Amino acid sequence: MSKSNLEWQQDSTQNQKPPLSLQNVYVNYGTRKGNVQAVRGVTLDLYAGESLALIGESGSGKTTLGLSIVRLLASTAKVEPGTIIYRRDQREVDVLKLSTSELRQFRWRDCAMVFQSALNAFNPVLRVWDQVLDTAQAHGWSDRTAVRERFLDLLKFVQLDPTRVINAYPHELSGGMRQRTLLAISLLLEPQILILDEPTTALDILTQRTIIGLLRRLKEEQHFTMIFISHDLAIAAELADRVATMYAGRIVEIGKTYDLFYQPRHPYTLGLIRAVPTVLGGFEELFSIPGSPPDLVNLPSGCKFHPRCSFATDKCKQQEPELEEVGERHFTACWHWQDVEKELELHPIRRGAAKHDALAQTTVEVR
Amino acid sequence: MVPIIELKNVSKFFGHGKERVTAVDSISLAVEPGEIVCLVGESGCGKSTTGRMAAGLLPVSAGQVLFDGKDIAQMNRDELQTYRRAVQIVHQDPYASLNPTQTIRDIITAPLLHHKKVKDRTHAEKRARELLEIVDLTPVHDFMDKYPHQLSGGQRQRVSVARALTVEPKFIVADEAVSMVDVSIRVSLLNMLSRLKNEFDVTFLFITHDLALAKYFAWQGRIVVMYLGRMVEEGPTPRLITDARHPYTQALLAAVPEADPELAQHKRQIELRGAEIPSLLHLPLGCTFHPRCPYIVEGQCDVHVPRLEAIREGGSVACPVRKDESIQLVV
Ligand SMILES: Nc1ncnc2c1ncn2[C@@H]1O[C@H](COP(=O)(O)OP(=O)(O)OP(=O)(O)O)[C@@H](O)[C@H]1O
Ligand SMILES: Nc1ncnc2c1ncn2[C@@H]1O[C@H](COP(=O)(O)OP(=O)(O)OP(=O)(O)O)[C@@H](O)[C@H]1O
Ligand code: SF4
Ligand SMILES: [Mg+2]
Ligand SMILES: [Mg+2]
Repeated sequence: MSKSNLEWQQDSTQNQKPPLSLQNVYVNYGTRKGNVQAVRGVTLDLYAGESLALIGESGSGKTTLGLSIVRLLASTAKVEPGTIIYRRDQREVDVLKLSTSELRQFRWRDCAMVFQSALNAFNPVLRVWDQVLDTAQAHGWSDRTAVRERFLDLLKFVQLDPTRVINAYPHELSGGMRQRTLLAISLLLEPQILILDEPTTALDILTQRTIIGLLRRLKEEQHFTMIFISHDLAIAAELADRVATMYAGRIVEIGKTYDLFYQPRHPYTLGLIRAVPTVLGGFEELFSIPGSPPDLVNLPSGCKFHPRCSFATDKCKQQEPELEEVGERHFTACWHWQDVEKELELHPIRRGAAKHDALAQTTVEVR
Repeated sequence: MVPIIELKNVSKFFGHGKERVTAVDSISLAVEPGEIVCLVGESGCGKSTTGRMAAGLLPVSAGQVLFDGKDIAQMNRDELQTYRRAVQIVHQDPYASLNPTQTIRDIITAPLLHHKKVKDRTHAEKRARELLEIVDLTPVHDFMDKYPHQLSGGQRQRVSVARALTVEPKFIVADEAVSMVDVSIRVSLLNMLSRLKNEFDVTFLFITHDLALAKYFAWQGRIVVMYLGRMVEEGPTPRLITDARHPYTQALLAAVPEADPELAQHKRQIELRGAEIPSLLHLPLGCTFHPRCPYIVEGQCDVHVPRLEAIREGGSVACPVRKDESIQLVV
């Protein structure tokens, strides 16, 4: 799998164009209560070999954005306006204009998505092997022996017992095994881009670590281009090169992982970081964000975060800020990002590892 | 001090014959009044079963549950009623436990009137307002006439806490009470619970699979780690987090994804010998962690069930091999 991927890597560094570019993408769901504005004007470039984490709370539009890239949105959803450009081998297509048959090819070969709920992604009455074969054949890969060999290799890669899994029905596998099987299937056709929606949510801690380990190997050894979608900041901290924070359907901040975690410029990103404890790394006081997430049918005026924001002024109530460059490859949509910067000078964000050492020493002294 | 709740060699079996499993295996745990004890461990290790037995919602298969020093199996009706009221459970999914056809007003006033905690409707109304205030559902008048489905997950969880408070409990089992709530509001729920502990002398058994939450909530208290129905380690939270001794506790701490890139980079990786958690139907002999443990001593760990032994640094560890060995988890 690495070969074609690496070749692609070189191509893209030569012509520098990102494999995926989203331009001003909007997604609405028509519901009885009204129009749910799930994604509102997302512009995003995904570069070859990078892993990007999309973080944000429940309902912020992360899954919707992922689904819009692979065109698997519910029929009630409308993508308008917006363009999603996909590039591979000098080829350039607008994903939103692909025909049904082109889409089928695109979904597994070019861009594969691993879903939030691993169980629903399987057909419950088919053994794993039959599903794999179906997927392969639908893409014109009919050499059963070759498919089987490759899939067995992939199962080994995701640290599963190949002979056991290949003949199993989905319900015979634990949640962690299903998630890993799904990851193996998604790699079958060597996609250029992998989108993983909540890859570790609802799994036990030790299983989460196994999955994180696997994704790290995909990233570091095979230089896969990946998007991780998660409400869990830890996934971003563990795996991402770049992080994008979503709030009310918008990317409100995007930047390199270290910048986002230690030098955030958006009050919402800062709020999330200050609300989440670490396990190791000392005892830290935590703060919650007041209020609750917005109603996507009746969004607040101006900056959608203003009702919960401690930096908000009248301007925030009236005008919605656009993403603005605040550092190297670091963008924030906040009128008052400089105030956030000042706030962080006064109260810097922990450096986890250093704190932990200090704490360990104090407990030794206390003894 | 007399523990408010004490479990003495409590076990729970489910099923019969070949299907019989030991979901909780001989747990002993005493919770002092005002203490915060946190039960952690992976899915299926017996946390909820233990919590339900402590709250008297599930009969024990063996052992005793003591409330204020008295065995609940020996209690008369009045004593049992006192115990039942004094101990309340708050569940993970408040939606399932709140009646969707009742307004918040009804949900809170009904138990007040039923348990004769107030004279009449007017007093019930007044008390309901106070309780909603305590759980930070303010302004109260915005919430009284709403139905559960009109509230967010975090707000519903506050309602179920307010409802638990109607009977003036002394002991609350909070079973994954904040796990389903968005991160941005989780902390305020936790802080609200801490306040109840301080202002209303409520003692907490806090159940969670999230070690970071356990650490934050129980920093002044104790963490108990369970694996396959047994207690494997227990101790004051700061000790347990910075100087865990049981190989399973260490593996958990090392495995937890950290919301801090620096820490994520510097965490030690612990390789276990086996990835899959054994089924309760086929429990390994001896220490049930031995098939996965990197420190196994053959002929010992796979034969003898380790007992919890106290360690000098605080708490106790069920691993004679490693109980006196510290390791660094941040490198
Ligand atoms: N099929 C649908 N019909 C109507 N509304 C929908 C549909 N799918 C999602 N939504 C709404 O769109 C918004 C964004 O949902 P989405 O699933 O993208 O959020 P998310 O960030 O992935 O959240 P979570 O963390 O809960 O998975 C939510 O308000 C959701 O209720
Ligand atoms: N009523 C029951 N009948 C049969 N088995 C049960 C019953 N309740 C629990 N069990 C089993 O007992 C074991 C312990 O379950 P318990 O719910 O206490 O675990 P837990 O630690 O709370 O897990 P989780 O983190 O998933 O909530 C599990 O194997 C479970 O399947
Ligand atoms: S624009 Fe205003 S309301 Fe929005 S995040 Fe910035 S300060 Fe807060
Ligand atoms: Mg989602
Ligand atoms: Mg449970």
